[in-house]
Amino acid sequence: MKEHKEVLYGLYDDEEDLLRAVKQAGADHLDIMDVFTPFPVHGLDPLLGLSESRLHIAGFFYGALGTLTAFGFMTWVFTRDWPIIFGGKPYFSAPSFIPITFELTVLFAAVGMVVTFYTICGLGPGVVNPVLDDRITDDKFCIAFKTNGYSDTEIGKLRSFFSNTGASEVSTKTI
Amino acid sequence: MNQFTFEGKQKRVLYGFMLLGLLCLIGSFFMDSTEHHSRFWTNFLHNTVFFTGIAFISLFAIAASVSAYAGWYTVFKRIWEAYAEFLLIGLVLLIVLIAGLWGHLHHIYHWNTEGIADVGSDTYDELIAGKAGFLNKTWYTIGTIGIVGIWYFLFARPLRKLSIQEDNTSTLDFSVHKKVKWYSAAFLPIAAFSSAAMIWLWTMSIDPHWYSTMYAWYTTASWFVSAIALTILSLIYLKGRGYFQHVSDEHMHDLGKLLFAFSIFWTYLWFSQFMLIWYGNVGEETVYFQLRRDQFPVLFYGNLILNFVLPFLILLRNDTKRKFGTLGFVALLCLFGHWWDFFQMIKPGVLNELAHASGSHGPLPFAAGFTIPGLLEIGTFLGFLALFVFVFFNQLTKASLNPQSDPYFGESVHHHV
Repeated sequence: MKEHKEVLYGLYDDEEDLLRAVKQAGADHLDIMDVFTPFPVHGLDPLLGLSESRLHIAGFFYGALGTLTAFGFMTWVFTRDWPIIFGGKPYFSAPSFIPITFELTVLFAAVGMVVTFYTICGLGPGVVNPVLDDRITDDKFCIAFKTNGYSDTEIGKLRSFFSNTGASEVSTKTI
Repeated sequence: MNQFTFEGKQKRVLYGFMLLGLLCLIGSFFMDSTEHHSRFWTNFLHNTVFFTGIAFISLFAIAASVSAYAGWYTVFKRIWEAYAEFLLIGLVLLIVLIAGLWGHLHHIYHWNTEGIADVGSDTYDELIAGKAGFLNKTWYTIGTIGIVGIWYFLFARPLRKLSIQEDNTSTLDFSVHKKVKWYSAAFLPIAAFSSAAMIWLWTMSIDPHWYSTMYAWYTTASWFVSAIALTILSLIYLKGRGYFQHVSDEHMHDLGKLLFAFSIFWTYLWFSQFMLIWYGNVGEETVYFQLRRDQFPVLFYGNLILNFVLPFLILLRNDTKRKFGTLGFVALLCLFGHWWDFFQMIKPGVLNELAHASGSHGPLPFAAGFTIPGLLEIGTFLGFLALFVFVFFNQLTKASLNPQSDPYFGESVHHHV
């Protein structure tokens, strides 16, 4: 059984307010659990101290795997398994392998990265992820704090943080 | 700093390199193992086409960006404007080539041989006779002067003038920008079609029996990569001297992406051209690649390593585009690589034609400055580069470096990838 999280979150109407609030939270040493925005907000990642994604490194290896698969398979087929002469060209005709090699490289890299991304984010068929508020997929910007075991003074501090930074709504939810 | 000062020291260095280029040109005129001073004329053509192309494609980049409502490039748009001003010098250099064509001073173009299109003459060539309507002196002259003239006088100059005029207006005044948009939109189709015609005349007609419909695209992509590479190098240098402080890592990152993307686009075109001809296996098409692959392997494979393998592998990672050292190194590589690309478009064809004219068949002999670029070629390149940079710096002094009143200036300053 997964641990229930008690979450206190505030909604902002504008991304600039959100950025200012995140900056303020950093200055106040508040431990932000997560930030939800309907679209990517420029400059948010460094403020939250998120390191650069390593997804593209995985993507490179998936791509390289695609290159090897395509080129290796075609080489094997046309030189060992089923050699056919096309247009008077030699069995091993590297230029004619290139288009397929390119396509499989892109395919492997793309599919591999999508699967990796979904796995890392815990997304997939049948997975239910709790949503704090439906409007964070529309036009609201949300900062969430995990408040398990927080005392009333600590929660009060968070609430005053929200009101000081211009949050339009503050709510709690257990997920 | 808003105003560029062209210092005396920079001028002296550039004059020095121009002198070196001139000496190398003179050297290649006299120290030439081939006939008709072909080494000199091909070097001249090679560098003229390369740098005129960079000027042209810079103008094209401005027009395309304006038409696409792009704002990010505005902080350094003066660089592209200044590059485009080289078109006038390019026109003068091309007129020298045209003079050589009429005076039969050079034999770069086989189609310019006397009587080649006259039935019954000794030099009659049926294939070239069929193309004589396009490949002839008159059209070469009218086409080159007319089209480059249109690029410069009808578009580059008015656009530059409007851009400077815009500096005196307010940011919210769109009256000048509207005119800029008209000129840009009109330039795009004209540039797209006319540059193809130019490149057929200037370099594709060196192998007059051969033709390829991919060639114009391929060459234009080559110019574009060179122009982006030169922009990156200029910005790194000028930023190091305290100019263009609004140009941030983000702009350099985007330029790096363009360099990366267009290196791949160039390769795509190169390969498409190669593979269709290789697979089709039609004699009059394969001659071009057969000559280059079998007899100029250093040029042929070096071209792919310089312009695809290295930029692709180095710029693949995100952060290499944000490190000025790495980005500058790749830009240098690409600039030289595409100069090399033009070298392999021009030189093998000329050398082959010369060998045929002297009646020899079989493998071509090694010829300095043809088989691989020699020191004289490198010197000439540096000379032309210095001339280009001289024109560029001179134009930079004529306007404020930051186009404060461009409607997109604010967006560009706050550009974030």
